[in-house]
Amino acid sequence: MIRAIPTIVNQTVAAAVVALISLLFPFAAIAQDAPSSPPPSDYVLRTEYDKLKAEHEAIKQEHEAMKQELEALKTTVQQMAKATAPAAQAEEPSAAKAAAPEGKQVVTTTPSQPVTPSTEAEAVPIETAGPLASHSFSIVGDAEVQFGKISHQHGAFMFADFAPIFLFRGGDRVLFEAGFDYTIQNNAPGSSGYATTLNLSFATLDYIINDYITFVGGNMLLPLGTYSERSAGWLNKFPDAPLPRAVLPGNGVGVQLRGGIPVGEKGQSLTYSVFVVNGPGSVDGSGSAGQLDLGGNVGFTSDGKLTNNLHGGVGEGGRVAIFWPWKPQYDLEVGLSGMSSRYDNAGKQQYSAGVVDASLHLGPSIEVKGEYMNTWVGTTDAGTINPRGWWVQGGYKLAGLKLGVPYLDKLELVGRYDTVNDDLGSRTKRGTVGAVYYVTNTLWLEGDYEFTSNHGPNPAPDDSLIFQISYGF
Amino acid sequence: MTITHLFAVATIGAAVATIALPATAQIPAPASEIKVETAAVTQEKTGPSGAELWTLNCNRCHMIRSPGEFTAAQWQPILMHMRIRANIPAAQAREILKFLQAGAGK
Repeated sequence: MIRAIPTIVNQTVAAAVVALISLLFPFAAIAQDAPSSPPPSDYVLRTEYDKLKAEHEAIKQEHEAMKQELEALKTTVQQMAKATAPAAQAEEPSAAKAAAPEGKQVVTTTPSQPVTPSTEAEAVPIETAGPLASHSFSIVGDAEVQFGKISHQHGAFMFADFAPIFLFRGGDRVLFEAGFDYTIQNNAPGSSGYATTLNLSFATLDYIINDYITFVGGNMLLPLGTYSERSAGWLNKFPDAPLPRAVLPGNGVGVQLRGGIPVGEKGQSLTYSVFVVNGPGSVDGSGSAGQLDLGGNVGFTSDGKLTNNLHGGVGEGGRVAIFWPWKPQYDLEVGLSGMSSRYDNAGKQQYSAGVVDASLHLGPSIEVKGEYMNTWVGTTDAGTINPRGWWVQGGYKLAGLKLGVPYLDKLELVGRYDTVNDDLGSRTKRGTVGAVYYVTNTLWLEGDYEFTSNHGPNPAPDDSLIFQISYGF
Repeated sequence: MTITHLFAVATIGAAVATIALPATAQIPAPASEIKVETAAVTQEKTGPSGAELWTLNCNRCHMIRSPGEFTAAQWQPILMHMRIRANIPAAQAREILKFLQAGAGK
């Protein structure tokens, strides 16, 4: 009995010690995990912790996404620089490297390609005293000088064009834009001097209704195909317009709704334009064959008495297109457009047009585009005729060959075939071969030879050799 | 019996404390909440960046203009003009404008 008491006491003490150690152990472990645990008053609530944790995870995700985006951008820029600027890289690699601080990215490009801002430029915030003004003004545009030699004629500087576009932005929704063409040409044979012509290419007041609809009103370039809206000298790789554009009106006075809707995650979009304009007129008002006047119905006549449409009707039309890029500089755009309008003064004869257009880019070096157009013109003396035509053009930038030869890398070989049939007996076919030398991305030297084949009473000019300097500003 | 009971209670208490208290300090956020936050961030970053949209859209019609060719203020009407002329979707136009203004000339 006396022996049993110490045994029980020993067992009790041992158990108590084990229990005490067991109870203390987790607190000791917690203390080790958080040696500087804050006093109880500074504990974070579970809800607060949850929120912080979620924000932390979100920031990590965003950081990863930004890193991936940065890598993608670097890859894109490097591909562009390699594909399009081997000449510049060959000429100035050491200078670029010498000028680049360690760790800074410097991209060299040919003058014909964009200069991508360095990472340093991107990192520097815009230095302004405050937010940008809500109203701002800018002038862009183009200018051309042309030298031509037509078969059986003298060669001469035959064209000088200055085409500014005035842009006035009145807040986030309003834009007024107007484009002009100043040209000069000799007066008629037997007369001295020359004449300066000022043409109002377009003048519209635009109002952005929402992300998907913009209202355009005024004298507008008509979205029939793509050429009329993309014909500036530093956009068109040829010094003249495709022949079949003559069967379509280039502009019209009226109103338009247009916009673009994103339809994919790679920059794809569905675009549309619908318009109501005065529509074409008739030269003598009769509606006879050959009297169609595609540009002569701007709403008033020269006597100043009539302020309405010559025929009292309106022309309606539009264009819908899909733009489908599948990776940078690889894209396809296909559009369908058309219009219909009365055109004689009596408002009985109908003019209708349909256009299919397509444009394809396969990398930075290859571009192919073209249009097919057909028209239906009701006449008082020849029934319905179908002036029509099509054109296709292609270009290949020699930089794509990666030859690394100075000057050659800034050269693009171009070719075009266009044909037009007025359905009144005249047909013209033309083949053009040439080259564009990119002094800079907007200063071009163009040289083309045009082989022309004519049939019928209204022949186009003979074969021509044309040089042009184009500048976009 | 009492000792055994105390021991058992102490052991269970220690075990619970060992597991529960640290777990309390590392409570994972509800999976659903994290997914929502992550999805929101991912969705914002889906699609081409302003730089990519700049090359995609401008290259459709003309040689690309460098951001440094115009000031941030000048880019505003120019981008508005191009948005309307080329029917560039509004969201894309905004991203392009941000990119161009970030590298705009002074």
